[in-house]
Amino acid sequence: MRQHKPKIVWLQAITCNGNTHSLLSSNPSRFELLLNSFNFFYHPSITTENSLEDVLNLKEIDFLLLEGAVTSNKQFYQISDNSINDLLKKVSKKAKYIISVGSCASYGGIHAKFEQNSDIKGLQDILNVWELKKLKQPIINLTGCPVHPEWILQTLFTLKEFGKIGLDMQGRPKDIYFGLAHHGCTRNEYFEWKIEAKSFGHKEGCLFYEEGCRGPMTHSNCNRILWNDVNTKTRAGMPCIGCTEFDFPRDNMLETKKNIGIPSEVPLGINKRAYLTITGVAKTFKIDRLNKKLIE
Amino acid sequence: MKTLNIVERIEGEAKLVCNWEDEKITDAQIQFLNFRGFEYILKDKPALDALVYTPRICGICGQAHLKATAQALENIYESVNEPLYITDKAKLLREIGLNIEIIDSHIKWFYLFIMPDIAKLSKDEKYLKYEAIKGESWRKGTYAASESIKALAVFAGQWPHTSYMLPGGVMSDPTLFDIMTMQNYMDQTLHFIEKELIGDEIENYFNFNNISDFDSLNGALSDFIKLCLENDFHNLGKSYNSHIVLSKNYLFESGRIEIKNRQSVDLSLVKEEDINSFKMNEPRRDNEYTWAKTALYNDKPYETGPLSRALISNRKLIKNMHKEYNDSVLTRVMARMDELIYLVFITKKLIKQVDISQDSFIPPKLSLKDIGTATGISAVEAARGSLLHKVTLENSIIKNYDVITPSVWNLGPGINEKYGIAQKAIIGANSLEKAYIILRSFDVCSVCTTH
Ligand code: SF4
Ligand code: SF4
Repeated sequence: MRQHKPKIVWLQAITCNGNTHSLLSSNPSRFELLLNSFNFFYHPSITTENSLEDVLNLKEIDFLLLEGAVTSNKQFYQISDNSINDLLKKVSKKAKYIISVGSCASYGGIHAKFEQNSDIKGLQDILNVWELKKLKQPIINLTGCPVHPEWILQTLFTLKEFGKIGLDMQGRPKDIYFGLAHHGCTRNEYFEWKIEAKSFGHKEGCLFYEEGCRGPMTHSNCNRILWNDVNTKTRAGMPCIGCTEFDFPRDNMLETKKNIGIPSEVPLGINKRAYLTITGVAKTFKIDRLNKKLIE
Repeated sequence: MKTLNIVERIEGEAKLVCNWEDEKITDAQIQFLNFRGFEYILKDKPALDALVYTPRICGICGQAHLKATAQALENIYESVNEPLYITDKAKLLREIGLNIEIIDSHIKWFYLFIMPDIAKLSKDEKYLKYEAIKGESWRKGTYAASESIKALAVFAGQWPHTSYMLPGGVMSDPTLFDIMTMQNYMDQTLHFIEKELIGDEIENYFNFNNISDFDSLNGALSDFIKLCLENDFHNLGKSYNSHIVLSKNYLFESGRIEIKNRQSVDLSLVKEEDINSFKMNEPRRDNEYTWAKTALYNDKPYETGPLSRALISNRKLIKNMHKEYNDSVLTRVMARMDELIYLVFITKKLIKQVDISQDSFIPPKLSLKDIGTATGISAVEAARGSLLHKVTLENSIIKNYDVITPSVWNLGPGINEKYGIAQKAIIGANSLEKAYIILRSFDVCSVCTTH
């Protein structure tokens, strides 16, 4: 018997297409499995067979994925003559699962900073859940700018197999966002002993103290799963900019805000005074190994 | 007769409005109706945050924007006579990063957009392998792209949207094994290109003189050439045949060409017009139909992109093809693929040149905060052509940020009785399918075009 392949419809609103390219960058064997296990019914930039018209004529959509922020303002943004909001209100009624792919679709993201259009939002802010009769679970926010390809695959496969996933207070899958970006960073030992990176461009040192790293305050598992098994920004030397959180993008992302030489924000859940005490103690250790170049 | 059609499967969405007479297109408007306002978003933001913002102008050419931002900020240091010293290692890692992104972009564009469309014009079953999602070649193309881009993640952490370049150098510090891993990924790309795209070894390819050299081969390029000749794409898609390249690197030279003579370029002669474009906070006039502006050099339209780069850098195969077929779809697409092949080859060499003992980053002695008011400008070659950034800071806060993308040169509206580049190329096509392919031959990116 031929297995039913769940239909995926991917729509784009105000976006840079970064999540699309993130998905297209997924590990080839994983991507192949996705294409073979699901019916990729529509994507504005990759599918050739079906049109938006066909999507509107569908009775039911298994997975509705949205990339990009939404707006009712047709002057700045429209999809085939519809406002994004109108289109999504129509299409979302057909969906069993709705997934906001990326921080823009979840919260408005970077595009919400365009103040001349005051109506840029995340998808969850324009849909009326009571009207979404087919929906099997609350709207899922896959935050990140962009999301890791693996997050999209894991979410889709888990829903296909188990029907439900646990979400945190912000509608994000707990399996991805239970921990912090900080977990698994190769610089953790430097973090513990409060050894700051000398500047950008070094393997050695933690980026928390000067370069603005948000790893200890950002929910995601980047450093545990790595980008396509290859690497992460913090491992490579770029500070985490907190792109999975609702307040991304913030100001001065590449420097650490400080009060009398001390980072004004401390790792999540830690008492600031206690943190300062530990810092003081940690700094008294002069660990030679950690103050040297890793490869001489 | 007038028709209006929506063009999908470009980056974003565009509308094509055509006038038809005797089954030929006699006038065409390319409309980009979506606008995100990045230049407005950047206003009043701290200067270094631009390194995070501008890559997000475009999900496929973010590294080009990143490099342009880093260099525009470095240009600010030059403007106050405090030039930063950038090590060769950092320069190489930047160029390698951008090259890999272009490689990824070119592979995707050809396999995801060009081949599925052009293959549909033929009834021959052997072209079914190019069909989107199902086709074997389509899949191989996406695999090759995703493996190639991993070479960038080795030292940039991820892709898209990494900001590993900054004024003074790069943030990463790869090991020798990292360098080797990058080489390995590029070797895989090279293997794909030889086996699937060319159907021959790269050394042989570098001796090719004309399209007849592809006759006996069995790669995707041979299929593409056959389909082009069958559908008249060696005659279709011609525009003004004047070309511009604003910056140079290991593979590209800068300059402009009209008919034959190559001349130098002066960035101060580049300007953007918005006569037929929508304007912010102003009621729309009848003639305004798109968010794209028009880029001009010395008041004249120029094409930018791989074809322009191949001609100005004098790359043989494309030069010869151009003599015969001018700036047709055939030449334009082949120029992009020729560039892909050269880029993979040259990027492999550049990776080997990285001297890991050098510094990655030398912190600027002067903070941008101490500079007061200053303007910086930069140009880089992005996948689709020349990209220009111009930023004005006031005590390190962005007062003005102007971005001129390649797509604005190629896809912006014409002005003063002169058609835009792509607009002119479409006129004369005898079917909508062909008009789409002509439009696609410019590698349309609507997110870039309007930004
Ligand atoms: S969340 Fe980031 S990657 Fe995603 S669309 Fe927005 S800007 Fe692009
Ligand atoms: S660089 Fe960032 S993520 Fe890594 S250990 Fe330091 S604070 Fe944590």
